[in-house]
Amino acid sequence: MSRLLLLIPTASYRAAAFMDAARRLGVEVVVGTDQRQSLEFRSGGRLLTLDFKNPASGARQIARHALKNPLAAVVGVDEESLLLAAAASKALSLPHNAAAAIRAARDKALMRGLLKKAGVPSPDFKVFSAAGAPERFAGSVRYPCVLKPARLSASQGVIRADDAGQFISAFKRIGKILRGMSPDSKESQNFGRILAEDFIPGKEAALEGLLTGGKLRVLALFDKPDPLDGPFFEETIYVTPSRLPAAAQKQIARRAQEAVRALGLREGPVHAELRIPASGPKIIEIAARSIGGLCSKSLRFKAGMSLEELILRHALRAPMDSAERESLASGVMMIPIPRTGILREVRGRREALKLPGVEEISITIPAGHAVTALPEGRRYLGFIFARAKRPREAEAALRKAHARLRFEISPPEGASLAESHPAR
Amino acid sequence: MKQEIKITASLSAGNPTRCKFAVNRPLLPGRTVTYSEARQAAESPLALALFEILEVSEVRISGDWVQVTKKDAGNWAPLAKKIGSGIRSALERGANPVAPNAGKELPGPDEIRLKIERLFETEINPAIASHGGFVELLDVKGASVYLQMGGGCQGCGMANVTLRQGIETSIRDAVPEVEEILDSTDHASGANPYYQPSKK
Repeated sequence: MSRLLLLIPTASYRAAAFMDAARRLGVEVVVGTDQRQSLEFRSGGRLLTLDFKNPASGARQIARHALKNPLAAVVGVDEESLLLAAAASKALSLPHNAAAAIRAARDKALMRGLLKKAGVPSPDFKVFSAAGAPERFAGSVRYPCVLKPARLSASQGVIRADDAGQFISAFKRIGKILRGMSPDSKESQNFGRILAEDFIPGKEAALEGLLTGGKLRVLALFDKPDPLDGPFFEETIYVTPSRLPAAAQKQIARRAQEAVRALGLREGPVHAELRIPASGPKIIEIAARSIGGLCSKSLRFKAGMSLEELILRHALRAPMDSAERESLASGVMMIPIPRTGILREVRGRREALKLPGVEEISITIPAGHAVTALPEGRRYLGFIFARAKRPREAEAALRKAHARLRFEISPPEGASLAESHPAR
Repeated sequence: MKQEIKITASLSAGNPTRCKFAVNRPLLPGRTVTYSEARQAAESPLALALFEILEVSEVRISGDWVQVTKKDAGNWAPLAKKIGSGIRSALERGANPVAPNAGKELPGPDEIRLKIERLFETEINPAIASHGGFVELLDVKGASVYLQMGGGCQGCGMANVTLRQGIETSIRDAVPEVEEILDSTDHASGANPYYQPSKK
């Protein structure tokens, strides 16, 4: 039986999905995590605590483990474990991405630089130190622009500025987020840069793919039908298959292929986000991982395979009869946090679940816990999933379901009367 | 008149590489035996017949059923037919499908329950209490175990890892006869999960 090492950060949404996929494949699983698990001593070597922030040392630990327990694949489940997965795979002579390519995909400034160098269309940009004075920078950018931290994800700290005043205010707000996240000075060097890039008007799409030896295989293309014009950039609805014309879809796939080549990515899943102005698609992000959150549940492939199963099959070099998506249209809505506070209750789930096409509503923040709205926040309230014959029906089901939900969020300090907020 | 052999196949809920074939006659009453290769199975013409099928990696016989594990996940339909024919022809030959004293005595549900409760009480719960969690045994049906997680484990992002890598491993060590371990927890209602997912 093959043995697989899954590197799962404890903050991951994906542990269950990857564990289930491994089980379906009948492979033996070893799990490496960034924090010691309470039953590690009972796991018979199937749980390892690894330093995700020190890939060299983690890779040595994995290599020692593999001497007695050979591994057929090492898979990093989320951003935080990708560098370690690559270092360990290299040590074990398994297919892997170069560390430099992963670093570039995680760092928006590096990524933009490599894309520009390779001539891959993406927004023009400038990089500033978060410690600098925004008043000095505000005159050097074109408006409208989008400010974003170089190293954060999930739209955290992403703010549009239409003029110098907005630039200064957004810059200061992002600086505060970064200071709150990385009090450690060494970390600040990594996190403390802010990009200001051209705002590109137009639709957005997201591509899910798998790389083998640098060649991109498109698994799904999502439309993002909600306009993302700012001032903050909440990811909400993703619907696949795309309703874009076939020629535009081909262009998007070509652009994503150019982008992975520019970054030097060669193996495993990729997730790309693109803007589609009239001049053709531009790369906004490209990540060396699959789609985030619980969104992968919206993807189902022929023979009932999940995205995680495809990723594991690919890593294990197991047969993949078909990576063709199911025939139904499918969509997911990441439920945005309407305001910062304490989540008291989510009402209307039962009614929303009765709507045609709505398959699941998963609230991922428990009642009584703090919720933080964008741009400071980095979580979603939960996820709504829908399937239908046609994409527009799946999208309509998501919108109707969301409209049925009521979020009771009380103010963050002092528990006064809970306030009821409609979904929109 | 000879009773017609009836075989009913059911896929394992927890492991898609496993399928159980229930037969309408006793095969190994009150006992259980597992073979992971043909050379271990000289005492069982039934297991030997099944190991002739290339995809088969393990055969377990107990009571009135045979559980077959195959090498890879995937479509069971064609293989299940072959296995059904293999079981039928082995039984039609008339000899004992497996030596009556093969393997070991099967513990009853009460014995399984007792062993698992002791394991939970002495080792598992004291350990997961450090994350504010606990696990309790809900039921034992045949050799299937139903459990429920609570406290910090309910809704925890790593609950599945704790279950499969820690709790399940421990149960299988303590009571190897257990077949399936099923989590009945309503994780969506977890009020205070220890690990909460937060980013991509």
